[in-house]
Amino acid sequence: MKRTNDFSVGLTIIIGSFVIIAATLWVKQVDFGRERAAVTARFRDVGGAKVGTPVVVRGVRAGKIESMELSDSGFVLARMSLESSVGLPVDAIVLLNESSLFGEWQATITTRDAVGNDTEVIRQLAEAAGRPDVLPGATLPDIARLTAVAGRIAGDVASVAERVQVAFDEQAARELRGSLRNFAELSTVLAQTVREQSNNLTTVSSDVRGGVQSLLRSAELLRAVSERVDSSTSRGEVRRIVDDAAEAARQLRETGRRLLAISEQLGRSQDKLESFLANSDSVARKLNSGTGSLGMMINDPSLYRNADSVMRQLKVLLDDVQKNPRRYINLRIF
Amino acid sequence: MTAVESVSALGRWGRERVEGLGRSGRFVGDTLVATRDVRTWWPEATLHARALGVKSLPIALYIAVFTGIVLSLLASYSFTGAVPLYFVGTLVEKTITMELAPVLTGLALAGRVGANIAAELGTMKVTEQVDALETLAFDPFAYLVVPRVLAGTVMFPIVVGLSMVVGVAAGWVASILLLDISSEEFVKGLRLFFTTFDVRYGLVKSASFGTAVTWIGCMQGLSARGGAQGVGQAATSAVVYSAVVILVLDALWAVLWLLGSHP
Repeated sequence: MKRTNDFSVGLTIIIGSFVIIAATLWVKQVDFGRERAAVTARFRDVGGAKVGTPVVVRGVRAGKIESMELSDSGFVLARMSLESSVGLPVDAIVLLNESSLFGEWQATITTRDAVGNDTEVIRQLAEAAGRPDVLPGATLPDIARLTAVAGRIAGDVASVAERVQVAFDEQAARELRGSLRNFAELSTVLAQTVREQSNNLTTVSSDVRGGVQSLLRSAELLRAVSERVDSSTSRGEVRRIVDDAAEAARQLRETGRRLLAISEQLGRSQDKLESFLANSDSVARKLNSGTGSLGMMINDPSLYRNADSVMRQLKVLLDDVQKNPRRYINLRIF
Repeated sequence: MTAVESVSALGRWGRERVEGLGRSGRFVGDTLVATRDVRTWWPEATLHARALGVKSLPIALYIAVFTGIVLSLLASYSFTGAVPLYFVGTLVEKTITMELAPVLTGLALAGRVGANIAAELGTMKVTEQVDALETLAFDPFAYLVVPRVLAGTVMFPIVVGLSMVVGVAAGWVASILLLDISSEEFVKGLRLFFTTFDVRYGLVKSASFGTAVTWIGCMQGLSARGGAQGVGQAATSAVVYSAVVILVLDALWAVLWLLGSHP
């Protein structure tokens, strides 16, 4: 009986211990004697990753983090064991990120191209780079950090809402109601205006349509003209026109030169004329002022009267000469 | 009641309270002292280990199976919506390993083992068999208490460990058969947050439960007075005190090990 007790208790202990240990090892995915490749990565911060965190290559779990330790240069060295058949990409990097919203983390071995333009990750990778046997690593922000930012934003929104609540008292509500009523009236007027303007717009649009048709016709004509121009250019008429225009320009230049000479002569004549006019003006002033012989003769009426008297006397004399030539003419020959 | 009688009643009440603590302390001290008498308790140890442990396996595994099934269904019911269903595996593993297997098994064995020990030793006490042992120069603590306490301390973790495995397995099977969870999903959740600490925590806790249940059973049995009524009262007290102490120890371990720790 005692031996039976000993056996059953011993068997129970052995079986129980074996089952518990085996189940624990199976759940922990411990594999004895299997060849593993060791990879080390360097991070500034490992976030929520820990020993046992799965390592993923191209989306497939290929190993886990075996150990993590603080290095003396302010980095964290994470040693990962990978299945020996897994090949790492060229220029490989390691990203630590949350694999779900429930605190699960994973280490993803990928290439630098997968980072894109994320400046923070690029900065972390640049910091962690430098050791040839260690992959550079970066940690992506976890959901807690993102929610912290969202929390701050929510706090700001709450603060704004609180201020709005403080500012939105009874008077503000009354004013807002009045504004809304005014806005309703305004919208009614606006709707009416819009209706009227829509009619105008209809008219305008029909006019525009007519104008567009005219434009189309003009464009058609222009197209015809351009075709003609095109055809004329193709027959060498444009060259002739250009030659004629050049000849005309040359003649025009010659005419201009001549006109310039004439204008210079005119300028000189103008000077002479101005000099002549100045002299004439001087003469006229003298005449008007009665200076000089001619001025005295013009301005003195007695001279006129004397001259008139002389003329009459001369006429009488002539008449008398005609009547009595012998009186005045004594012709002697020898 | 005179003033003298009132003061005396108060003193008696205080003495009884302190006397209980003192008796318990002395009982523990006598048990520890008796562990030196290996030749007396060693031959009896496997007998009690079989009675307390091996024969308790069916009821413990029975409880574990239904606990695993119900827990997976409960987790699935709770996680409907935002939480992925593979967390059923996580919850089943964490809950059974760290809490339900040790506590439920402990409570079940408190009824079975604690009452059994209290009734057995109580009967020996009231029939003066314990006095006879002392007359024959046997230390009752070395012969009766130590092998039972050691058997309970060693076998409880074995029973609870098997309950853990069976409970998680039952939850796994229930998730596959009754819920829309694949085996891979359940295992993914099972492994997600599993640490060996979970198992160590449950096993250490169950060992403390085994010690407490057997020790309380022994103490209540050897404290039995009178006849059959005293034996029944001792058995009842053993179960009640064992259950209470199990829950107290459960909270104590949680405070000592879980508070502030991040495995």
